[in-house]
Amino acid sequence: MKEIDCRGMACPSPVLQTRAAVEHEGVTAIQVVVDNEAAQQNVQRYLESRGYRTTLDVAGSEYRITGAASTAGKAHPEPGPAPTHRSSESDRQKIMVLCASDRIGLGDDALGRKLMVNFIKTLKEMGPDLWRLVFVNNGVKLTIDGAPAIEELQVYEKEGLEILVCGTCLDHFALLDRKKVGTTTNMLDIVTAMQLADKVISL
Amino acid sequence: MSGLDFPTDANVLVGLGRADDAGVYRVSDELALIQTVDFFTPVVDDPYWFGQIAAANALSDVYAMGGVPKTALNLVAFPGTSMDLGVLRQIIQGGIDKLREAGVALIGGHSVEDNEIKYGLAVTGYVHPAQIRTKTGLRPGDRLVLTKPLGTGIVNTAIKAGLANSTTAEQVTSIMAALNRTAAEVMSDFRVHACTDITGFGFVGHLAEMVAGTDIGAQIDASRIPLLPAALEFAAMGLIPAGAYKNRSFREDMVQIAPGVDRAVADVLHDPQTSGGLLIGVEPSDAGPLVQALRARGIDAAEVIGQASNHSPGRIIIAQGEF
Repeated sequence: MKEIDCRGMACPSPVLQTRAAVEHEGVTAIQVVVDNEAAQQNVQRYLESRGYRTTLDVAGSEYRITGAASTAGKAHPEPGPAPTHRSSESDRQKIMVLCASDRIGLGDDALGRKLMVNFIKTLKEMGPDLWRLVFVNNGVKLTIDGAPAIEELQVYEKEGLEILVCGTCLDHFALLDRKKVGTTTNMLDIVTAMQLADKVISL
Repeated sequence: MSGLDFPTDANVLVGLGRADDAGVYRVSDELALIQTVDFFTPVVDDPYWFGQIAAANALSDVYAMGGVPKTALNLVAFPGTSMDLGVLRQIIQGGIDKLREAGVALIGGHSVEDNEIKYGLAVTGYVHPAQIRTKTGLRPGDRLVLTKPLGTGIVNTAIKAGLANSTTAEQVTSIMAALNRTAAEVMSDFRVHACTDITGFGFVGHLAEMVAGTDIGAQIDASRIPLLPAALEFAAMGLIPAGAYKNRSFREDMVQIAPGVDRAVADVLHDPQTSGGLLIGVEPSDAGPLVQALRARGIDAAEVIGQASNHSPGRIIIAQGEF
């Protein structure tokens, strides 16, 4: 395996060093070490553009990119498969929870409301995998002043959870002024969030 | 520079309170002065073109405020003891030619000895106080119009790496040297609610300044963004300036990019621009006619690329397809 140490180098040098190894030496396995994220991203993009499958290991400020040509002996110019990230950050799933009502299930509404409050209070057990909490339709009523679990939601938001609240829905119920948590959003935002999420849980 | 107490007075219409492209000072009910300064290290190897680009870039802040530049002062840092003064002469000549094209008088300047070349200008312009175009002021439904193609930072990186051909290099140089004068003149005939120019923070960064902390958000159609085709190719190869990654992480929390948007396009949207185009927020019914008028005056890249919305305040949503 060809190894290149590009620590201390600024862009575009790491890419040019990698390119020299790939195009002139035709290596099929290569490892490039860089010390900044821009160089890491750039080297990874370069290798992928040349048909290498890449993996990334991050240790402190040292980024180690390993590239393997997908066709043995010959790298090709087509874009390669998506990179495999092994850094802990990317190990997290992105779970999106969509609440379309202020209660859970059908049957007894009082029970349904109690269950929803309990659900919100328990949601923190998902840990850092919980990525976005989205409220639409009747669900937006959980985000206004006096809502039964508003304090818990405010704590979640303060801790970094992204809470999105449907603007059209708030408008429909004339509750725009009473929202006490989350960011007002629209359907395009919600649809693209669904696409980005690893898992969408709909209530 | 938070925490510092800046002196001000009642005639300061645009100052550091809410930083904009340039400062504006009211002289009378009919007249306000626009003042701005910008200088940087060479972005191209040719000194004459560098001079032109630096001047176009410095003038751009006046155009972005809806004003007309009138006078300029040179700012020069140059290693006069070790480098041929002919190089400096060519830089200044580039600046002069660009000022003449803009109808701006050069009335002074200052130079210092420095190991690294730097050139730019302090520019003063006029604007009617009612015609000031600030960054903020977008209204729900406003269409967003962009006047120059994006990708100059990425292409310049490829040039530095020796990977761009001469046609691409000439194309990007002339784009950076192009004045935003015509765009500013054309937009003055339309109901423009906000305007800025795209420079070091990239398209997303400057758009973010238009919506951050306001009750307006932006929806962008990535497929309609004018961009340099070569920039896509170089971005996919990883020839992306570090500033693009900084721009991205700085505004990450405000921005959502749909998975359908090509990674290279997303890279170009964060690419730091030198002397980029104007980003104009215009009344919806004026958007089509504005783009037509811009193209009729030779600004071929002009395109409606998104819209302002009150349903996603302070956020930027970038998707592939209709907004």
